[in-house]
Amino acid sequence: MTTSRRNFLKGVAAAGGATAFAVGYAHTGEKMVTGLVKGTSGEKTDSAIYGMAPKPEYALDPKTGKLTLNPDQQVSFTMCLGCNTMCGVRVRYDKTSGRILRVAGNPYHPLSSDPNIPYETPIMEAFTALTSHDESGLAGRSTACGRGNAVLQEITSPYRILSPLKRVGPRGSGKWAPISLDKLVAEVVEGGDLFGEGHVEGLRAIRNLKQPLDPKNPEYGPKANQLAVIESGGSGRGDFIKRFTFNSFGTRNYGSHGSYCGFAMRAGSGAALGDLRKYAHGKPDFSNCEFGIFIGSAPGNAGKPFKRQGRLIAEARTDGKMDYVVVDPALNNSSNMAAMDRNRWVPIIPGTDGAFAMAMTRWILENQRYDAKFLSQPGPRAAATAGEGEWSNASHLVIVQEGHARSGHFLRASDMGWSVEKPAIPIGKENPAKAKARKAHEAEEGVLNHFVVFDAASGKPQAHVVDAPAALFYSGVIDTPNGPVMVKTSLQMLKEAAEQQTMEEYATICGIPQETIEKLAYKFTSHGKKAAVDTHGGMMATNGFYSAFAVLTLNTLIGNYNWKGGMSAGGGHFPAAAPGPRYNLKKFKGMVKPRGVFISRSRFPYHKTSEFKRRKAAGQSPYPTRAPWYPFSPPLLTEFLTSHFNGYPYKLKALIAFRANPLYAHSGSRQAVEEKLKDPKDLPLYVAVDGFITETNTYADYIVPDSVMYESWGWIGIWSGYLTKASTARWPVLEPAQNKYNGEPITLELFLIEVAKKMGLPGFGEHAISDHHGNTYPLNRAEDYYLRAAANVAFAGKPVPNISDEEIKVSGVSRIMPAITKTLKPEEARKVAYVYARGGRFENASQAYVGDRLKHAYKKSHFNIYNEKVGVSKSTITGKRFSGTPVYMPQVFVDGTPMEEVYPRAQWPFSAISYKSNLQSSYSIINSRLTQVHGYNPVGINAGDANRFNIRTGDLIRVSTPGGSLVATALVRHGVAPGVLTFEYGFGHTELGARPQQIGDKLQPSSDGLLGAGVNINDLGLADPRLKGVSTLGDWVVGSAARTALPAKIEKI
Amino acid sequence: MEKSRREFLKDVGKLTAGAVTAVAVKPAVAGPQRHGGDAKHRWAMALDLRKCIGCQACTVSCSMENQPPIGQFRTIVSQYEVKNVDKPGKPVDFFMLPRLCNHCDNPPCIPVCPVQATYQQEDGVVLINNEICVGCGYCVQACPYDARFINEETQTADKCTFCYHRVSVGLLPACVESCVGGARVFGDVRNPNSEISKLLDEFDVKVLRPEMNTHPHNFYIGMDGRFEGKVQGEPPVWDIRNAAGKELEEL
Repeated sequence: MTTSRRNFLKGVAAAGGATAFAVGYAHTGEKMVTGLVKGTSGEKTDSAIYGMAPKPEYALDPKTGKLTLNPDQQVSFTMCLGCNTMCGVRVRYDKTSGRILRVAGNPYHPLSSDPNIPYETPIMEAFTALTSHDESGLAGRSTACGRGNAVLQEITSPYRILSPLKRVGPRGSGKWAPISLDKLVAEVVEGGDLFGEGHVEGLRAIRNLKQPLDPKNPEYGPKANQLAVIESGGSGRGDFIKRFTFNSFGTRNYGSHGSYCGFAMRAGSGAALGDLRKYAHGKPDFSNCEFGIFIGSAPGNAGKPFKRQGRLIAEARTDGKMDYVVVDPALNNSSNMAAMDRNRWVPIIPGTDGAFAMAMTRWILENQRYDAKFLSQPGPRAAATAGEGEWSNASHLVIVQEGHARSGHFLRASDMGWSVEKPAIPIGKENPAKAKARKAHEAEEGVLNHFVVFDAASGKPQAHVVDAPAALFYSGVIDTPNGPVMVKTSLQMLKEAAEQQTMEEYATICGIPQETIEKLAYKFTSHGKKAAVDTHGGMMATNGFYSAFAVLTLNTLIGNYNWKGGMSAGGGHFPAAAPGPRYNLKKFKGMVKPRGVFISRSRFPYHKTSEFKRRKAAGQSPYPTRAPWYPFSPPLLTEFLTSHFNGYPYKLKALIAFRANPLYAHSGSRQAVEEKLKDPKDLPLYVAVDGFITETNTYADYIVPDSVMYESWGWIGIWSGYLTKASTARWPVLEPAQNKYNGEPITLELFLIEVAKKMGLPGFGEHAISDHHGNTYPLNRAEDYYLRAAANVAFAGKPVPNISDEEIKVSGVSRIMPAITKTLKPEEARKVAYVYARGGRFENASQAYVGDRLKHAYKKSHFNIYNEKVGVSKSTITGKRFSGTPVYMPQVFVDGTPMEEVYPRAQWPFSAISYKSNLQSSYSIINSRLTQVHGYNPVGINAGDANRFNIRTGDLIRVSTPGGSLVATALVRHGVAPGVLTFEYGFGHTELGARPQQIGDKLQPSSDGLLGAGVNINDLGLADPRLKGVSTLGDWVVGSAARTALPAKIEKI
Repeated sequence: MEKSRREFLKDVGKLTAGAVTAVAVKPAVAGPQRHGGDAKHRWAMALDLRKCIGCQACTVSCSMENQPPIGQFRTIVSQYEVKNVDKPGKPVDFFMLPRLCNHCDNPPCIPVCPVQATYQQEDGVVLINNEICVGCGYCVQACPYDARFINEETQTADKCTFCYHRVSVGLLPACVESCVGGARVFGDVRNPNSEISKLLDEFDVKVLRPEMNTHPHNFYIGMDGRFEGKVQGEPPVWDIRNAAGKELEEL
């Protein structure tokens, strides 16, 4: 052990304490003698003064401002894959060695710079702007985060997989034999007795698009659905995977990591924003927001985008306008003491965010602190007249009559006997803008579907397209042609939901003093639309959906979306893998439309299943089902494996997993499925595509290697927290290191292409891609796809300029120029090169606002106080309808049983919470220059609790939940709320080098287990005790993983 | 600047902007002659602690740029969880403190070097020639900031160079280039129009351990005086273990 490293860890351990940061003189006495005799006694460095630092990438003439490039190095703009934010970066590499020297930010990219440098800026000027020239490199700095700086080490990691592998011996034995790609593809496609364990069905046999996989339940779809393709998500290659999965192979079952990442927030946001298809979501406009509440999100500590939020929050709390609070069970890096009163930590009891939000709601409604002007506009015409950009359904009437056939639905024009010919209100004079808005709306909704409101002035029922405000509160009957019907306005329903508990009760539940809640509610409603509440992964408890819905409805109450200083749903992106302006990358000849029920039982109405009908016909109750059906969730990766192992709704036969590591990342997954995954009889074929061996793919039958980091192709839009249009390009700025097949690097794409070609699937091979003239082009290599996506981006709207010869050179795009010219049309090549040279396409920061409004406003739907889809959907466990408005729910199991009834506080006095690391992510532990800074995650415990248990920092404690148990080092903190145990994500690996694997005749190097440092909260994840078979605990409504706020107990070891 | 901030910053060791300039133009205090660099400049760094998010991008980018041995650092950000004993009702805070060589105007590391391997340039940058250095460690012990260490590979003294190999060709130090929050501002305090000079004018900056009279040239904005010297705190975690509680070996 070196003292330097350990001392350093002291400093960053967040414990308070150590001052030393590099006490490296432990051995000096001995070395002094050597040095005196021999001069320098150690290894010689490149420079006597600058040690091993490489020569700079360019040099500036201070007088002329002229920049001279270092001909031995190359700086290129591409995309980082160090976490899921995927920032634009500049990669500096050494042309001689081919090694990357350092990575920083791409100045054109809004996630790495603020403001991003104008897109039309010549690249040499962009480089110059990063230097001391006029000191422009200070404000104009473009950064990578700590992780982004280090992850280039993954490229040369000794744990990287370079060859296709086939397991030797039983699953999980850690022994692999290299195999050629064509042999691997042949085995996977044709099946056979591949492991001497009996016959394995190949992909060709599985892909049966005609026969139902279960004749008794034909709605489950064809046998082809028995292949599942899963990925960690978002690496800019998802569209390619979906092309193969949905439309080429034709299985329904594609799943991404969202359900164990932050889906509870997405679902809650989608409910509030009226978008339960894509689950629209937003972030505050940090630069103009005056007051922010962050609850379950932590700008500067984590989140997506991590780095941009960090930069903006640092600016906002100093030179900027925002004061903010962070409501969290534990203090995190959003807090900054030096910024003093401009930020504050408000501790909360885990899993009670909904109580805090409903208390805020109650106070805001009772004290009329909501934006009545916004909320009372029932539709687009009234909103336009009132000068509101948006409208909500706060005033819309909901049928609440028990037993009514349409109970839970909005009262519609058709219920009132109104029609197109007989509208509720005459359409008077309209200006063209209003007429357009009305007609667009009517075309979308249909006049018969118009919502019904009470006119605020006359009290008469009207269609919501009325050009006047409507009454916000009503509870009573309304006369309809079919008799009186009991109705309430949406806001009335929210008010009643908020009144289910008193302010005192809410305060007791969430542990935040009533006075603090009221002050925050007052402050939140004191800045007009320039305030925002933001949430994210902290919602991932069993009640996450309603917590998030409640929290995000606070934004609706102040009508802040699309306003400068309010909330933004993002700036959008340019079409890439789309029916774009040059190529149609969505549709192709022979494409399959996948059919049937997702294995996660999502989005399919249970009452339309054969099971429901059978049970009804047999005179039985159709409830409960063996496992919940999720009426408005997307395919949930959290349910894929457990559904398969339970055989409900059906079983899989094969799994292809790209960089998907649920056994590590999904709470409780290891306990639920690890043993079963070892049995090849149960899930017969498992092919992984990954650069590394992970906790999950260690059980794979085959591993296909892949490009790592800046070696691969990809296109992605920014996820959130940005105001201007942006599409990030990733392209191989250096030669991929893994093996090649027929001259092409073996990648995810090549594997899928070869499988598709072997099987004769549509959408790959010759004539797979078409342009708008009907000409066709091949898809034989990754760049056949991604370069055409780039052409779509380059030609979207006003096409980008052509790149100059000089910029091809200085950007390093010269490396891929042969592929560009070979693949694309002459008129496309230089525009596509222009885009790659800048690392993507980015709208200029000057385009963020139009007056007081955001240029890119959220317009997909109106804002929902009451979400009808939620309000009419039922739990298939209880058979009861969900609440259509936000409501406080304690943590519950799937049948609504409060968690505390099963796991009482007396037995489980602690709550274990997870939080995202600002340094480590799922794979990053392998980067030693990162891990040297932060290589361990002691478990945080409140100082008072520690005192009671006689625990000091450094003591070993056993942490147990009903789902698991582990040993952790305690870190006694004042910044952890009482009763809370904090787990930083990214540690506790058992693979990724923590266990050396045998690859052919080589054993991977030993890391002495250091890569396994620390603990993973997901190893403590619970099953749902109310479900039979294997299960992982999830949100009872939407099925997202419950990975935080777990009941726990500790003992000192 | 807000009044409350000014009140807060009234503390010992406060260094005014005027004093900085005065120090900067003074000839070096007794010791070996400065050589190299250009006396027209005096390089320095301002660190706005209010903008630091503790992300360690500076730490890692320095490590990537300068390639010291794994586990040895030329800069880090110390992070302290602070419970204010004066205001027990106030919530706990995080205090971030980036540290690096102070490139002092009166560097105690230089006079103690028996072979004059470490020296100061005319522009204030303190450097080490590792071909002259004998690794005796006197400078390491003389530095009141623990900014120096014996490089395990070269067996010579090592520390931050302000990335002078970059600065000398018009670029910024790696840590500054990569500072996400914009806390680190590098520049020339002899140029009155530089960004750093403006910050020193605007803010009551502080330095670490002012009582040592080393005249450091890292100037902290938002510094709480209690962090200038040795910080009284709880002992941190030393042993690294896995989820079975097994202690793991050092890489």
